[in-house]
Amino acid sequence: MAANPMSQFDVYRIGPEIKVGAFDISFTNASLFMIISTVSILLVFNFGSKRNSVLPNKIQLLAELSYTFVAKMISDTAGSKAKPYFAFIFSLFMFVLFCNMFGMIPYTFTVTSHIIVTFILAAFIFIGVTVIGFIKHGFGYLKLFVPSGVPAVLLPLIVVIEIISYLSRPISLSVRLFANMMAGHTMMKVFGGFVISLGLVGGWLPLSFSVALTGLEILVAFLQAYVFAILTCIYLNDALNLHH
Amino acid sequence: MPKDPLKTRLEIAKNKVSKKNLFDKKSNPSPIGTAFKLSTELVAAVAVGTIIGFIFDKTFGTKPWFILIFFFVGVVAGITNVIRSAKNMQK
Repeated sequence: MAANPMSQFDVYRIGPEIKVGAFDISFTNASLFMIISTVSILLVFNFGSKRNSVLPNKIQLLAELSYTFVAKMISDTAGSKAKPYFAFIFSLFMFVLFCNMFGMIPYTFTVTSHIIVTFILAAFIFIGVTVIGFIKHGFGYLKLFVPSGVPAVLLPLIVVIEIISYLSRPISLSVRLFANMMAGHTMMKVFGGFVISLGLVGGWLPLSFSVALTGLEILVAFLQAYVFAILTCIYLNDALNLHH
Repeated sequence: MPKDPLKTRLEIAKNKVSKKNLFDKKSNPSPIGTAFKLSTELVAAVAVGTIIGFIFDKTFGTKPWFILIFFFVGVVAGITNVIRSAKNMQK
């Protein structure tokens, strides 16, 4: 067993090396776990929506609960105009949730503990929301950067501040998910290492910490997926209903 | 005469559900989540400001000035972000 708490985040190649031009697109353990979570989402929702019985079985209940959960979240934060984007937000939420939850199983790899994965997700959301805003409002979307009731002298400064705060959205979105997942998993590994090194005598205290941390991490895994989705809804709300 | 047991149980359950809904609306989803949201928002804006200043300095060759200015503008943007999301939370 690796003693280094960071070695759980190593990305390694599975199978042969594939290169396209200068890019290395080999199949790695990260891609494996992305595929596992995607396939399991598809399986759960396929089985969940196969038989629409009035008395749902467990899988159907799970599918229906998550549907209503996300639908309520969207209508609460972004209003009825955001209904067409339900599929996007739902798949985003489910993907992040399943990646986080698969990372909780021992010996698995947590895809969302790598900043490049979360940053690509956040960057696509950011670009998508900006494009939607420009399609819906044209150049009027730029009014987002000009708050009403500001004296003309302060306007250049305020506009710069607003642009920086707009550009910081994808960074704060991705850093939050990545930092939560990485910190939690590192901490669990460190406490696990304490159990081994303190042995049968003193290992019980870190073991109990580990158990508590596992519970906390499951909460964080769900919560971060929720926060990721709800912030996407909030940004979408800014783009759809422009009143700043 | 005692009530129908199923009805009393139903009433208790309904009471519980309505109480739970009220509780959910008032309380935040989680204190950890909100704390993390605020801190990352502050840090991200500062980072973006500094990066913009760095890029300007590189293109115009005015080494320390833009990075200095945009660092502080980033700090201001971060504080605005924090205040804005704190206001949203209080709603």
